[in-house]
Amino acid sequence: MNLLTALARLLLFPGLLFAVPAAWFFLWVERKAVALMQGRIGPPFMQPFYDFVKLLGKTTPPRTGIGGLLMRLWPLLAVSAAAGAVGMLPVLPASGGFEGDLILLLALLELPSVCIIAAGFTSRSIFSEIGSAREAALSVSYNIVFLLAIVSIAAAQHTFRLEALATMPASPLLWLGIAALLVCLPARLHLNPFSLPNAEQEIYSGPMIEYAGPELALWELSHGLEWVAATGLVATLLAPHITLWWMAVLLFIALSFLLVLLLSTLAAATARLAIDTTVRFYWQCSLLFAVLAISSALLMRLRS
Amino acid sequence: MSYRIPMGPYHPALEEPYKLEMICEGETVRDARLHIGFNFRGIEHLAETRNYYQVIALMERVCGICSFIHTLTLCQSMEQLAGLTPPPRALYIRTIMAELERLHSHVLWAGIAAKLMGFKTMFMTCFEIREKVMDILQAISGNRVNYSMNRVGGVNRDIEDPHAILLMVQALETEMARTIIPIFTTSATARSRCAGIGVLTHARALSCAVVGPTARASGVPQDLRRDAPYAAYPEMEFDVPVEPAGDVRARLLVRALEIMESCRILRQAIAKLPPGEFHVPEGKLSFAAGTAVSRVEAPRGEVMYSITWKENARNPSRVHVRTPTYANMPAVRWMVQGARLADTPLIQASIDPCYSCTDR
Repeated sequence: MNLLTALARLLLFPGLLFAVPAAWFFLWVERKAVALMQGRIGPPFMQPFYDFVKLLGKTTPPRTGIGGLLMRLWPLLAVSAAAGAVGMLPVLPASGGFEGDLILLLALLELPSVCIIAAGFTSRSIFSEIGSAREAALSVSYNIVFLLAIVSIAAAQHTFRLEALATMPASPLLWLGIAALLVCLPARLHLNPFSLPNAEQEIYSGPMIEYAGPELALWELSHGLEWVAATGLVATLLAPHITLWWMAVLLFIALSFLLVLLLSTLAAATARLAIDTTVRFYWQCSLLFAVLAISSALLMRLRS
Repeated sequence: MSYRIPMGPYHPALEEPYKLEMICEGETVRDARLHIGFNFRGIEHLAETRNYYQVIALMERVCGICSFIHTLTLCQSMEQLAGLTPPPRALYIRTIMAELERLHSHVLWAGIAAKLMGFKTMFMTCFEIREKVMDILQAISGNRVNYSMNRVGGVNRDIEDPHAILLMVQALETEMARTIIPIFTTSATARSRCAGIGVLTHARALSCAVVGPTARASGVPQDLRRDAPYAAYPEMEFDVPVEPAGDVRARLLVRALEIMESCRILRQAIAKLPPGEFHVPEGKLSFAAGTAVSRVEAPRGEVMYSITWKENARNPSRVHVRTPTYANMPAVRWMVQGARLADTPLIQASIDPCYSCTDR
């Protein structure tokens, strides 16, 4: 991958130029879908964009010292990491990539969550500290399943290249991996039933409570970009290998859209679980998934 | 290391200003303190400056949810002092209104409980159904919140078309049995948030002297509609649901079953609605000197009014109210001890607190 294509991927497609409007669109789809399922009207199409612009225009009371600096830094870092993760998705056929880019993608996907935890503790509010502690516990639990899923798919392909993963033929292991990723997505995106870190009826909005104005706008944007990155990762794994680039793009958008609808339905149909139930759920999942992945890997080895 | 976490006086989980200060270790609550009095309006004192017409309108505004129950209890005690007996039709209309109010209060509570579990879809469903109950209340009284139905010696408005009301009640009953009750009893996530949470044992319920659904969910079989019947309740057939478990789920179940019993009472009352006058003839009232006490089973439990009148006075000399939340709220401390922090909003809401009544 040369510098030009890398820049084009990061800035144009699937990077910032595509990802930012897509982030607002997915945020709108989620809010609108949940509203329609609940018998409400829901926000107008441009609402996430309006929210962003409105928040950008607010002035916030200045925070001095290293705490204030860090509080401005965390959302910036989260947005850059999420945007970078979207830029790395192997959407286009023959998009290049390098050996080990999967590991970089996983790291970038994880950074926003780490930033949220750090931001909660930096703001020193009791509610955001509880929210951050919950986010940390949640992240430790679902990430095992998430990483197991990705690593087992990668191990079956004998590579840590994203492109090889995207072109992998359908196999039981791939479907198992996708199922495991889907189980993790609600927790990663703070959706019901795993919306614990930002449970407003319990701890207001958790780690975000001290944020306002442009910094909050950046958090919202990073949340939207996380939607694009997380659904996009599953969409690239789901999509069959297509050589026509515009077909690949359309299929990617359609699959991501369907995933957003699926996640919104789950969020609308469930109540929020408590932290211990959630952690237990994910550890049981990782146990189940580990057994299934090993047995299916053994079966594949025996068959070949 | 333990830390203090304040819930309120302004908090998304609370409808009204009060404060639950919790001492936590990690996510576990070790102890809690409840502070009330943020909404004191001096209504009991104001009542001493109002005559017997005005005091009804004033006491109706003690609570926005059980406004009918408050005027019913007040009018019953004033009728004792005035020596009046309302005509049978008025008693039936009072029963119908009281049960409709219980329905809308219980459905509202179910909605709030769903919201506190993070189950907003259920919240919207509950509030849609509550709107239908409010429509019936509006069809009868012309008002949605403060119904202005009660007067000393009867009610202000007649039910002119009982058949139409009966049809609305039947439609409501089918919808409740189809949506709210199955979701709360079968949804796995909802059950995981309720079962075994915020337990109030039978012994503790007796020692705290809790009332209403909170008591019935801890296995205390008390209900004034059956134990000390008023209005037309002596002629109604209904069961008093009692659950022994004492957790949030039991409180949810008791209220769900009460919704069905309320529909049953409503059907009977509308079918048997006797003909005749709906209030005693108009005229100047005179009150005997003394104190009268009346008790009524409100949606949240027992409401007690004690009203004192002096010889030849125009205004009451003392109106005292005891609301069910006043009896129920000390139990919250025992319910939240050892609970998870995430469950405390739901636990404190499970007594269906109404601090605007309590603060007055």
